Amino acid sequence: MKRLFFLFVIIILVTLGLVWPHFLNFFYCKPDLLLIFTVALVFYTDFKTALIFAILSGLAKDIFLPGALAVNTICFSVLSYTVYCLGRQISIEENYVRLAVVLAVSLLSNFVLGLRSVALGNILPPGIFFRNLIIVSVYTTALAPLIFKLTKRISATA
Amino acid sequence: MFKLPRKTLINLVFVLCAVLLASNFLSCFKNPAQKIFKPQFSFLGLVKREISGIIFYHRNMIQAEKLQNDIDSLRLRLFDLRETTQENIRFKNLLNFKQKSPLQLVAARVIGRSLDSWSSSVIIDKGRYNGIRSGMAVISPQGLVGSIIECLDNTSKVLLINDPNQGISSIVQRSRQEGLVSGTLGSNLIMRYLPDDAQIKVGDIIITSELSQVYPKGLLVGRVVNTGREFSGLNRYALVRPIVDLASIEEVLVIIP
Repeated sequence: MKRLFFLFVIIILVTLGLVWPHFLNFFYCKPDLLLIFTVALVFYTDFKTALIFAILSGLAKDIFLPGALAVNTICFSVLSYTVYCLGRQISIEENYVRLAVVLAVSLLSNFVLGLRSVALGNILPPGIFFRNLIIVSVYTTALAPLIFKLTKRISATA
Repeated sequence: MFKLPRKTLINLVFVLCAVLLASNFLSCFKNPAQKIFKPQFSFLGLVKREISGIIFYHRNMIQAEKLQNDIDSLRLRLFDLRETTQENIRFKNLLNFKQKSPLQLVAARVIGRSLDSWSSSVIIDKGRYNGIRSGMAVISPQGLVGSIIECLDNTSKVLLINDPNQGISSIVQRSRQEGLVSGTLGSNLIMRYLPDDAQIKVGDIIITSELSQVYPKGLLVGRVVNTGREFSGLNRYALVRPIVDLASIEEVLVIIP
């Protein structure tokens, strides 16, 4: 039942991402809602569930993006595992620590995506590269508490 | 048959005369009387209103609720009508353009946008069933929008011209100077590989060239907003503002070759 709800959340977040109104974009940047959900799952559920849904979230993102390589699927699963390992090393029970983790994960994920774009031969002006890297990460972190609350409520259900 | 006493009749005539006389001078009394009694009248009116407000409180409350509901529903309808009007204008423009254009076009609606900020693409509601194939050019009545990169049965993915993966062989309309226009994920496109002595200046219009295999020749790409020298110093570049507002595009036309 819980897993069905998580699947439903992924569908909602993908739909929300696809129809995200342009007036909610900051400097052409939109938040990565699926990434927040992936990280939130590590905090509120067991690792196995978190990893499965991280892969599903990554796949859902890659399906709707141009490009043949499933970079988000790989990235999300690796980041999910990294956060899980980090949770075993340090305490991530406090809300601000969790937000800091989301910010770090978002920066890392966007850095990988940006580097991939540059590695493919695309010319990205440094200003736009850093704009995407920083604003997307901060915007994602700002919306994280909402997704955290949703994930916590679903994982609390039996 | 009907007889009045003489005295009563005289009295009646007097009263009638008095009334007629008073009515002649009534206007003389009206103004000062109203002036004198105005504050009292206003106060009494206020009291009356408040009392009736208290007495009919329940009725007024229900009436106010009903009116508020009516206002809300009318506001919603007005919003819908505005949206429909705007949509009608856009469709009319598309239809006009489609009828005038010598190209074979398929109109499509944008149903989704890119999920991340590292690419610029949209999903349209027409696919293979409508004759759309990968590599076809996508335009709007204003100018070039992008090209189809993935095609499913009922939907297609369009790579917009401001995506860094996009490369459009273009020329400056005035001087016929060739260059390659690609996206930067920002509001402007970049036209590269311009020679040092390129005839290009701010305000020049950029159109697609005949060298492009994807785009037909002469499609409007954008307008030059700035020029500069590349880091290597060998070439110049130009920043081009797209003619089409790619952030808020809602309907597009796919060119069927």
